[in-house]
Amino acid sequence: MAQGPVPFSGEVTCLPLSSLPVNQKAEVTHLEMQDPQRLKKLIAIGVLPGSPITLLQRFPSYVFQIGWSQFSVDRGLASAIYVKL
Amino acid sequence: MEACCDHKQDKTSSGLKKVVIVGSPNVGKSLLFNHFTGRYVTVANYPGTTVEVSRGKAKIDGVSFEVIDTPGIYSFSPLTEEEGVARRILFKEKPSLVIHLVDAKNLERLLPLTLQLIEAAFPTILVLNMMDEARRLRIGIHQKALTQDLGIPVLETVLTTGEGLKELKTAVRHLTGLEAESPSLRGTTVNYDGRAPVSLEGALARIGESLAGEYPISKRSLSLLLLKGDEEVRSLVKKQEPLVLEIAEALASELKNHLQAPLEFEIASSLKRRAARISENVCRTKKRSWRSDVRSGRWGEFLSRLTMNPLTGFPILFFVLYGGLYQFVGVFGAGTVVDFLEGTVFEGFLNPFFVKVFSRILPWPLLQDLFVGEYGMLTLGVRYAVALILPIVTFYFAVFAVIEDTGYLPRLAMLLDRTFKKIGLSGRAVIPMVLGFGCDTMATMVTRTLPTVRERIISTLLLSLAIPCSAQLGVIFAVLAGHDRALLLWAFVVGLVFLFIGFLTAQILPGERPSFYMELPPLRWPKISHVLTKTYVRVKWYFTEVLPLFIVASALIWLGQLTGLFGFLIRGLAVPVRAIGLPAEAASIFLMGFFRRDYGAAGLYDLVSKGRLDGVQMLVACVALTLFLPCIAQFLMNVKERGWKTGVGISIFILFFSFGFAFVLNQILVRLGAVL
Ligand SMILES: Nc1nc2c(ncn2[C@@H]2O[C@H](COP(=O)(O)OP(=O)(O)O)[C@@H](O)[C@H]2O)c(=O)[nH]1
Repeated sequence: MAQGPVPFSGEVTCLPLSSLPVNQKAEVTHLEMQDPQRLKKLIAIGVLPGSPITLLQRFPSYVFQIGWSQFSVDRGLASAIYVKL
Repeated sequence: MEACCDHKQDKTSSGLKKVVIVGSPNVGKSLLFNHFTGRYVTVANYPGTTVEVSRGKAKIDGVSFEVIDTPGIYSFSPLTEEEGVARRILFKEKPSLVIHLVDAKNLERLLPLTLQLIEAAFPTILVLNMMDEARRLRIGIHQKALTQDLGIPVLETVLTTGEGLKELKTAVRHLTGLEAESPSLRGTTVNYDGRAPVSLEGALARIGESLAGEYPISKRSLSLLLLKGDEEVRSLVKKQEPLVLEIAEALASELKNHLQAPLEFEIASSLKRRAARISENVCRTKKRSWRSDVRSGRWGEFLSRLTMNPLTGFPILFFVLYGGLYQFVGVFGAGTVVDFLEGTVFEGFLNPFFVKVFSRILPWPLLQDLFVGEYGMLTLGVRYAVALILPIVTFYFAVFAVIEDTGYLPRLAMLLDRTFKKIGLSGRAVIPMVLGFGCDTMATMVTRTLPTVRERIISTLLLSLAIPCSAQLGVIFAVLAGHDRALLLWAFVVGLVFLFIGFLTAQILPGERPSFYMELPPLRWPKISHVLTKTYVRVKWYFTEVLPLFIVASALIWLGQLTGLFGFLIRGLAVPVRAIGLPAEAASIFLMGFFRRDYGAAGLYDLVSKGRLDGVQMLVACVALTLFLPCIAQFLMNVKERGWKTGVGISIFILFFSFGFAFVLNQILVRLGAVL
């Protein structure tokens, strides 16, 4: 999953949230669109391009902070979020 | 408000104007609700669902309102049953005012819902709560500018201190007096053509023009939901004007061909862009420092990290289980309190009294037995219900409510998600599983909050098979008290069955793999009032749903004995019971166990007190009884929730599995010459 195609890369490099170092500030660039159910969940909790995001923990589940809220997601959802530093 | 014909009005509806509170989870909705309503509150499941909805009456300047608290929602497109209920309330209750409550510091992320509410033409006001925290983070919000940008009233509150409440009440009083169409409540609209190469707006206009029916939301909003393929809205429109549905579907597929991203995403992006622009315009953040610990105070965040880090999180979980479940529910509730109620109150006082009264008024021993015999409705049914079940269940639900109110459950869910994935579930299923230790029947009902059918079937099976309810736990702790090794082995064996059967089922059952997401609210101190209300509501449910079954079960047992049917069944059951190394009289325990899981467990307790079982037999009996067929209440719930085939299938499987497993366990222990 993590090594899937990385579109929109241009001059900045994008990486999935699941590969982001912990406590590193980043910004959401795009979302993986293949799975509509996944996409819906990410949209619902407000993960959309342009949102600043920070990964806080990756085991046993991924925990990230967006704004002042923290969410926990599994690997599938975490690797559907692409970010740039 | 005009009377409505095609929407069913709620029975409790009092003709009062309705104020509905909506917002995402943990923004202070129930606090606001309590501020408004005080004592006049009913908490009930929303019709046809297991989702609890609170309604209450509020009086502002002598005018009464009905206030409705709704389950937390993130957007206008529901993902779970709970979110569905929140939207259904908006659709069906015809609110005179919708209060969108947000956490001020997360305004930008929460604004899209405000925009959607305005778009749907609900008379909405936006209330920025938790202003104290926003100030601490030096986030300033320009209230006037926000009012102007949105076109709806905006207020600020700190609900924990009551700041801003007076202004809010005045606003509610004033705004509910206005007609919804008045200009002061006409909000902004979002243009969805932002960056999309084809015109979403064009499609919306087309559908909007064709719509002629009566709907609870604006045509624009309805058209948008139609384009998104929203099931509920589609069937709403299909009933009234199927032609429009066809138009919408044609337009949706045309749009899909031209858009790069799914429609859902385009729409969300437009809303988000708009929210970002508004937020930029109205929010003044003095210092854009990002620190996760400001969220809930340094200590709260520290503790939160500890609960989520597996190295410290699992010891904490063990401590919670040991302190809350074992010491408080098991030792104190099921031990001390039950002993007092059973021994002192019932055996010493009430039962002799019942026997005396009934032998006087009912001269026939046969009928006496029905009420006050060995399995009498009063001496057994009511005694077990009140003296055994009530204290254990109440203590368990109280502990559960405390754990729920602190915000610990989502952390538990995130800790266990990986493990639960292996058994075909997601971390979300942790909540019904933990509740199952209180009452499996109730927990089976709560599995409705799980998103897929597959997860519901797996969790129903596991609840029936390997999660002992609090009544059983109480007796098992009592039976195995003083046999620590047997108790540990019991927990280990049952845990193993849980994982193994879950794993196998996940391999066999088809269906999509679950995915997991959950908000982690800040950890906080539990509120006594929340804990009391939650415990009360659950205990009440337990008693109104389950107590009648106790009584019926007692009568059935009486009848079964009278007709000899029970004797026959017990003789039949004695065969497998002896095969697993137990004395034949244990057979009646298993049969009783089906009518009430806990009757069986309590019968076991009697057998042990008489000294009829050794350590290995105790362990095997406890394991078999834990795994054995669910009680009749749960059997009925399984059938009701999962349908005949699955419900009965699960029960048959458990019947064979429990005895088969106990047989193997007994053989192993005996061969090893284990002494427990
Ligand atoms: N600091 C602060 N905390 C608040 C405020 N309003 C609510 N809370 C807390 O936020 C938590 C969630 O509140 P609750 O009413 O349960 O939220 P609900 O899930 O939306 O019903 C509770 O612990 C409240 O005490 C506020 O204005 N300031």
